[in-house]
Amino acid sequence: MSLPYHDTKPQGAADFYFAINATFRFLEGRLGRAGWVRYLQDMGRGYFAPVNDAWRVGGLPAVAAYWRAFFEAEPGGEVEIHEREDEVEIEVRRCPAIAHLRVGGREIVPFYCTHCYHLGEARAAAAGLTMRLEGGAGSCRHRYFKPSAGEAPQRLEAIREVASC
Amino acid sequence: MLGTYDFCGYYEWTFDWLEREGGQQLLLDYWVESISNDSQRHARELIFRDGFAGMLEYWGHTLAEESPDLGYTITHRPDEVVRFDMQDCPSKGFLIRNGLEQHHDYCDHCVGWIGPMLEDAGFTLDHAHNHRAQCWWEIRRATDLTPASAPGELYAQDARLLPGWSADGATIDTWVRSTDPLGKTSQ
Repeated sequence: MSLPYHDTKPQGAADFYFAINATFRFLEGRLGRAGWVRYLQDMGRGYFAPVNDAWRVGGLPAVAAYWRAFFEAEPGGEVEIHEREDEVEIEVRRCPAIAHLRVGGREIVPFYCTHCYHLGEARAAAAGLTMRLEGGAGSCRHRYFKPSAGEAPQRLEAIREVASC
Repeated sequence: MLGTYDFCGYYEWTFDWLEREGGQQLLLDYWVESISNDSQRHARELIFRDGFAGMLEYWGHTLAEESPDLGYTITHRPDEVVRFDMQDCPSKGFLIRNGLEQHHDYCDHCVGWIGPMLEDAGFTLDHAHNHRAQCWWEIRRATDLTPASAPGELYAQDARLLPGWSADGATIDTWVRSTDPLGKTSQ
């Protein structure tokens, strides 16, 4: 399994990034940053459970296959997946979400890019993995790997805030 | 990262999460504040500025993007009514095909964000959906007291005439001259 759900069209509609950004703004405004993080973690463990299960069974090759299929189905990204023995690195040279929000003239929530960490780490943990993120605001680097005692925790300061224009 | 390909899947999941978190009011507020006023502000701007022509432009673009297989039709009588028939809604259809159902009524989200937008712009709505990826909409000025058309009157392939419209105990939710997200009757 690469993607758990299938549509009749090859790529999603880019305007849905507007809704993702607006949803983050609403949730943070109503529930605070901690409530928004809880939403992402619940989604990571709940909605994404079929993917997490596939990652747990298939290990890092399944992680790489998922992200390859994921970005093929996203409109407007420029991404390279590096599959190594001990980690999968997702090198996002042009984030399709940030690019479309900017083209659309949207006010992007400054913490937008941290959703990839909160969601990604919840999913990785459910699969017996961990993830780290650095960069943001249009280009970034995600790494998925098996947790080890010596690994430094994620520094949220390593994730850049987003400016709208 | 949250993507667009399965957006409808976690959008529907989000409705259930919000309702558990803050009850029905939080979900209704989400549809108005987040989707109608923020995410879809381009729709508001078009429809406030251009009325019926703005509706044709907005839905002509967005439905073509979401449903390139054209599981819908848009018809209109100039300066009188705009009508949509969804024979195979790309959004609800995605959920049905993938067996996704966390929230008790995904289809309510459309009136949840479109209804308040139309009301603010001076329009009213007749609408029904059957929870099987089929629905119809007629939008008129709020001052126009013309009732909804009879099946087939405005469009020959009216969703109400589809073989599966009301078969096998389908629950049909109906809004009559109402933009209120809670204004439906179920049958």
